[in-house]
Amino acid sequence: MNTELILQHGLTLDEYEVINNYMQRELTMEELGIFSAMWNEHCCYKTSKKWLKKLPTSNDIVIQGPGENAGIIDIQDDDAIAFKIESHNHPSYIEPFNGSATGVGGILRDIFTMGARPIATLNSIRFGDLSNFKTKYLVNGVVKGIGHYGNCIGIPNIGGECEFDHSYDYNNLVNAMAIGHVKKDSIFYSEPKTIGGLIVYIGSKTGKDGIHGASMASDVFSEDDEDSKRPSVQVGDPFMEKLLMEGCLELMDAKLIESMQDMGAAGITSSSVEMASKGNLGVEINLDRIPLREPLTPYEILLSESQERMLAVILEENNEKVKNILKKWEIDYEVIGVVTDTKKVIFKSQDKIVVDLPVDIIVDSAPEYDRPFNLPLKHKVQKYDFNQLNIETCLNNLLTNINYSHKAWVYDQYDSTVMGDTIFEPGSSSGIVKVHKTNKAIGATTDCNPLYIRINPEQGMAHTVVESYRNLVSSNIKPMAITNNLNFASPLDQNIMGELVLSIHGLKETAKYFDTPIVSGNVSLYNQTNDEPIKPTPVIGCVGFNENYRSVIPTHFQNDGDQIFMIGKPLDLAESPYFLQDQLGLSNINEFNDLAKCDFALEKKHQDFLFQMFEKNMIKSCNDISRGGPIHSLITMMTSKLGFHIQHSDELSLFSEYLAGYIMIIDQNNSESIVKEAQAECIDLMHLGSVKTDTIEINEFQPKFNIVYEVYKNNFSDKIKNYHDN
Amino acid sequence: MRVKILVRLKKQILEPQGKNIEESLNNLGFDKCSNIRQGKLIELDLPDGLEDRNTYIKTICDKLLVNNIIEEYEVL
Amino acid sequence: MSLSSAVITFPGSNCDRDAQTYLEALTGQDTHKVWHKDVSLPKVDLLIIPGGFSFGDYLRSGAMASKSPIINDVLKHADRGGYIIGICNGFQILTEIGLLDGALNRNINLKFLAKNCFIKKNHDNHFNKKILPDHCLSIPVAHNEGSYYNSEEGLKSLEDNQQISFLYCDEKGNTTDQSNLNGSLNHIAGITNKKKNVLGLMPHPERAFQDFHTSQDGQLILESLLG
Repeated sequence: MNTELILQHGLTLDEYEVINNYMQRELTMEELGIFSAMWNEHCCYKTSKKWLKKLPTSNDIVIQGPGENAGIIDIQDDDAIAFKIESHNHPSYIEPFNGSATGVGGILRDIFTMGARPIATLNSIRFGDLSNFKTKYLVNGVVKGIGHYGNCIGIPNIGGECEFDHSYDYNNLVNAMAIGHVKKDSIFYSEPKTIGGLIVYIGSKTGKDGIHGASMASDVFSEDDEDSKRPSVQVGDPFMEKLLMEGCLELMDAKLIESMQDMGAAGITSSSVEMASKGNLGVEINLDRIPLREPLTPYEILLSESQERMLAVILEENNEKVKNILKKWEIDYEVIGVVTDTKKVIFKSQDKIVVDLPVDIIVDSAPEYDRPFNLPLKHKVQKYDFNQLNIETCLNNLLTNINYSHKAWVYDQYDSTVMGDTIFEPGSSSGIVKVHKTNKAIGATTDCNPLYIRINPEQGMAHTVVESYRNLVSSNIKPMAITNNLNFASPLDQNIMGELVLSIHGLKETAKYFDTPIVSGNVSLYNQTNDEPIKPTPVIGCVGFNENYRSVIPTHFQNDGDQIFMIGKPLDLAESPYFLQDQLGLSNINEFNDLAKCDFALEKKHQDFLFQMFEKNMIKSCNDISRGGPIHSLITMMTSKLGFHIQHSDELSLFSEYLAGYIMIIDQNNSESIVKEAQAECIDLMHLGSVKTDTIEINEFQPKFNIVYEVYKNNFSDKIKNYHDN
Repeated sequence: MRVKILVRLKKQILEPQGKNIEESLNNLGFDKCSNIRQGKLIELDLPDGLEDRNTYIKTICDKLLVNNIIEEYEVL
Repeated sequence: MSLSSAVITFPGSNCDRDAQTYLEALTGQDTHKVWHKDVSLPKVDLLIIPGGFSFGDYLRSGAMASKSPIINDVLKHADRGGYIIGICNGFQILTEIGLLDGALNRNINLKFLAKNCFIKKNHDNHFNKKILPDHCLSIPVAHNEGSYYNSEEGLKSLEDNQQISFLYCDEKGNTTDQSNLNGSLNHIAGITNKKKNVLGLMPHPERAFQDFHTSQDGQLILESLLG
């Protein structure tokens, strides 16, 4: 053991000293490898743990909060929903197809390992400047990879986001979210209970994939690193995972499993250690029993991240039945060890003990840091000159900016209707699926506003969370709980650490106020290259519920003549960051004013009003207002035939951001009623105009509907098409 | 012994992959390639002393490895 | 009139449950679930070979599924006049078995395509007889290899024997390049065998029949069979 070896394994000398003092002996190479995997950021959350502990994680509807493979919430009767979001950022930069595909694979295993059948996925993906060839290559690879895995395994992709910003030039982000359905009495956990229980390996043979993948996630890249890191990327096999999923669900249905854990980051190491820790027991595993694709050393077996593998504990009496079910699905199965009462993790190879570690030192003594951080500097009050802008230039800026463009190029590559239960596909306010054989509907969305969070992390996070609520509410889905993926640059930079701490704080305050606990999540740090950090990108995955699928509300215009109403408080243009960025071209954070404070009370008031109006069947379709203002919301609601005709005294404010803003489409016959309802609730309701065939008309401005619609639909696909791949 | 079977779409079948590869190469500045076709290579081991080796290979190609409606093959 | 039915599941089939839901909702009877290694089919009127990625689409879509033990009985079922609908991967499997002519190739844009499309009836058969000639059915497709191919002679035979069941079209019923989203020969979206008891089609009718689906046009295919 020498300094170089320790540092190569991603441990600091201080961390090694803690281990050394505890163990009172030198570690074996295999043991060093275990600490290298378990004590890095991705597995032990050493930087973020202190702050994540403050998040609200429970209430009446939470069955399982953070700490298991996925969070689980109660959706009445005997139904529950499991969900989680996870990142696969660094692998997606190195090998975009496999990196993103295996991200989908990993998150799906987290769902079905708990006994839940996956019913939907969403993806939040972010890239750099699209005019770079490299970005196009990444976009193509990532979208193809996500599609390949999800389509093959047969789970609908119902939503997500796709954003472009130069801060992701060298660090694209891929966050994959999955949702599953499980009966409350059929949930499986990772905690083994029986001493003497058999530890079994289920799934693909082990190879050299991803060795040191978990450590790779915690390294900062330098530009030349790609080729040397390429061999360690995992390759996924979605067909194998489909068989694995069906096999495991069948085993769980037959109650043949005591506990199960998927082998994800840090492979068999993390899954066996976590199992032992949860059960407060020990594990003893014979590495010679592990099915191998090629010859591997014990060290390599321990750190391999080959995909599509599960670890389970079964009672000995069930061994034959388990074997037979897995044989039907042609899945590899081996008994590899046994649950003990030693509270130790023991791995053997060739009759020698190569790892003999107490569980405590790996898990309970894992480092937890209180890294120093800076609060953001106060923003000076700024004034801007908007005289160059008029409605035509603003609309043009919107239509030519790919961040506002229709993304069918992306989601037409994702099967969104497989499993036959999809109600709203990508392109609507939220993705919605019916829960099979019930009348319930589950809605989900992913959101983040990195620009807001860079300006003011705490308020920016609050705005992001309430926007995710608005996306669900506008579909008549009640937001229930949150999963979050915190994507940040290096926490060793005190400014960035400050963004992490404060955005977690903003999430905490918002989630507490609205009683939407955080039940699962993931942290991805060190997203930066050559000292170019990404913008702070804490992605919120919000899940909600409606007990009657028939009452969910569409996003798009329905009929000519329907009336367009709006609620919400417009922000001053000088306080609308996306307006300033996308219309005035501001980019340096110091050029922006501070964020307007998020108005929780107004958001709640408008949520309640909308739910009441939905209950009374007053609203035909609805969309929230966010980046791009009411105009962008209206453009998103257009169909190939239906546009809009509106009047507004302040044209530029139609492009600004709003607080608690929504567009509501009301049948003509209900116009008077909605006005009365709003008055009764003291809601500021504004009548904008009406839905109109083949028309876009804003005051005197009348661009050609067909042209605007075509540009909206094709701007992105035109710009991405210049990259060819097969 | 190692057997290598090259499976390709028949010449008359439209093959967009080849065209795309050509365009990609052009975009990268390599404009001297033309008439690109993409196929797949299936490699397998057969015992050295296998009798009627060629018949065996033909049979597995006809029965599974090759779709005779749209594909042709060549043993390399 | 009712129909007894069965759905075959291969390793990697992922639309088998959807097909089952579709059959049970519209026939009012329970559907038999068949595993690809079963040697015999139950005696049923209609068999659906569902969509998905049987055997991962490895080697070729449907190639390995076409060698499964159950296929012998599938051939016998077709031989004695039993109905078969092959949807998407099911269509690919039927061409690999040889029950349907031609082959399905990679989509012309080389990308997986998942969206709603329109199809219209072409030649009459049991599977489309309730569909009016000018009715354009809106049904989702979701596939990577959906581009139908046949030789000139093969195409002539299909025409002569009136085996072309459905064509891709736009919402007005025009067959255009744009509406032929995967580049299929002559806009062909679905065909039958000569006896017209076996149908293969790329679009998914089992995703277009429930009240919450964007279209209920998928019902018309089963309703045609139900008489």
